[in-house]
Amino acid sequence: MTCQYSELLQTTEFWIPRATGVSIKLAGIDIGSRSIEFVILDRENHQVLDRFQAETSINLSAQLSLIKEKYSWDGLISTGYGRQLAQKVLGGAMITEIKAYTTAAHHFHPAIDTVIDLGGQDTKALSINRTSGQLHKFEMNDKCSAGTGKFFEMMAGSMGLSLDQLVTEALRGNRSVDINSTCTVFAESEVISLLTSGVALADIARAIHEALLTKLVSLLSKVMRSDTREILFVGGGAKNRAMVQLLAEALNRQVTVPQYPDFYGAYGAAIHAIKSTQQESI
Amino acid sequence: MNPLFNDDFQEFPLKRALAQVVSKREAGAKVVGAYCSYAPVEVVWAMGGVPAVLCAFSNAPIAKAEETLPVNLCPLIKSSFGFIELKTCPFFELTDAVVGETTCDGKKKMFELIQEHRPLYVMDLPQCPTNEGAVAYWRHSVNGFKKFLEETFATTISDSALEESIRECNRKNRLVERIFAFGACKPAIITWQELYAVATYAMSAQGPEAIAQLEGIIATLTARREQMQFTSKESAKRVLITGCPVGGDVLKVLKLVDEEGAAIVGLDSCTGLKPYANVTEEGSGDPLLAIAKRYLQIPCACMTPNTGRFEVLKQQVAALKPDLVIDLVLQSCHTYNVEAVKVESFVREELGTNYLKVVTDFSQQDLGQLKTRIAAALEMN
Repeated sequence: MTCQYSELLQTTEFWIPRATGVSIKLAGIDIGSRSIEFVILDRENHQVLDRFQAETSINLSAQLSLIKEKYSWDGLISTGYGRQLAQKVLGGAMITEIKAYTTAAHHFHPAIDTVIDLGGQDTKALSINRTSGQLHKFEMNDKCSAGTGKFFEMMAGSMGLSLDQLVTEALRGNRSVDINSTCTVFAESEVISLLTSGVALADIARAIHEALLTKLVSLLSKVMRSDTREILFVGGGAKNRAMVQLLAEALNRQVTVPQYPDFYGAYGAAIHAIKSTQQESI
Repeated sequence: MNPLFNDDFQEFPLKRALAQVVSKREAGAKVVGAYCSYAPVEVVWAMGGVPAVLCAFSNAPIAKAEETLPVNLCPLIKSSFGFIELKTCPFFELTDAVVGETTCDGKKKMFELIQEHRPLYVMDLPQCPTNEGAVAYWRHSVNGFKKFLEETFATTISDSALEESIRECNRKNRLVERIFAFGACKPAIITWQELYAVATYAMSAQGPEAIAQLEGIIATLTARREQMQFTSKESAKRVLITGCPVGGDVLKVLKLVDEEGAAIVGLDSCTGLKPYANVTEEGSGDPLLAIAKRYLQIPCACMTPNTGRFEVLKQQVAALKPDLVIDLVLQSCHTYNVEAVKVESFVREELGTNYLKVVTDFSQQDLGQLKTRIAAALEMN
């Protein structure tokens, strides 16, 4: 029942001093519903040469063109829901975010077989073969935003709080009330009803987290093995400290959050690009 | 590459089926609308009638249906009902009578709402097919349907006409099975659009013309195989579609598989091979019993236990060698949705094949998510 924030990308685990000569730059871009993550890795030592994060713009095409002007790379793979447009604008290949997360998770944490990604628009649970690194099984939330990062955003809004404030309140709150729905529309009615009946803000914030926790546990239970001891928590939602703590308690397992959990899609795409070029050069 | 059908309906299998129904109707045949593979079409053909499939797969009439029906109901039922309300289903408009079966609760109660439109007979389907008395009871239902047709159309359906119809259907069904067996070729030589077109055509076609058409298709496919005219790349992942019937707007799932460069090599559902599998005993002396026995073998998820589904999946996976089985479940179809639990563990563990369950309706709202899920399942080794 511990939450471990590993200092990923700063450990020597995969940091190898760069060989002499000009580095080959391989990029990964993950275009999610809320944000874009972009990373350039050195092909030889996997060191991060560049990275940035931005909110996904309504004019995605223009945003991608700017990236193309500003950065250069020797190979690129796109992932995330905007991967097709990204491929058109930036070139290169594309993979699904499920494959990207699997690739990054196994690359950085080969001993972990279960991953949960809490994104802005969807939530995924992955089961990975620890030996081969292949995806064994995956589950996703239903087609609506119930059980995703969007849910937190909407709930914080209906309570007049920022996302950070909602998390801080939840960490102080007690489990005194339940919110039964993860549907943003129904849950909002429940939150307003609790607010008007005088329930402490912190307890409501906690209940909001508990509601989403139920969804995460349900998804994870479909892919988790009985001998799974550690869960990797990635995606923007993994930055929510209250959620991480509650998940570790609910699963009674170690929940590991890497330093840049929201970059795992981009890492996975870039690592896949590295693997692809290595296969080509064989 | 030669098309399987040399007609004006290349991209329109439903219009081809409709043309079959129209021409037979113009020749004097009564049109009997059916909502399910359990409808014993041998009885309709024996009367000199023609069956027409009424199950609808269009999202367009659903809004109309939801003025009357609950929103959280199977889209197939809502679509079929909405078409009737709007009077825009050409198949329903051509029907002289309708047959339904007590397969799922939604359909069963929907039939009560449409009975004012057409003479309607609902066959009571025993849902524990291996229990004692199930076949005998179902024979009563088949007989009831026969009597309904005789009374409605003031005709008589003789045993010899039934025997002849059984022989004709068996002959046709074996040809359809042979066509679907070409799905085993690797690389593929038949597309899912063609499999779907054959299944759609054969429902309303019968007799020498149909036999010649289906034999011609077999000749075309044999030539494709010999001349190595492939419809997919050699490296294409192979997919078997199982689960609920598909058509119209829910073909979105199959199109997404195409977009990923994979080849659908089998359609194991009521809009695929299912209505043509199994043989009705010929010359048994009791054609109604022979029909009852054959139809009760249809492995629909409304049955319990539905052991036949697993036998068919085992055969299909062995023959077609798919990399992925997609279990397509229509929203609110509880029987297929719950059965998916067993199907998933059977396909993964017993058959060692990758599996993806897709629950969807006829709308476009989940296209983005479906694309990711299907692409991810196909990326897996």
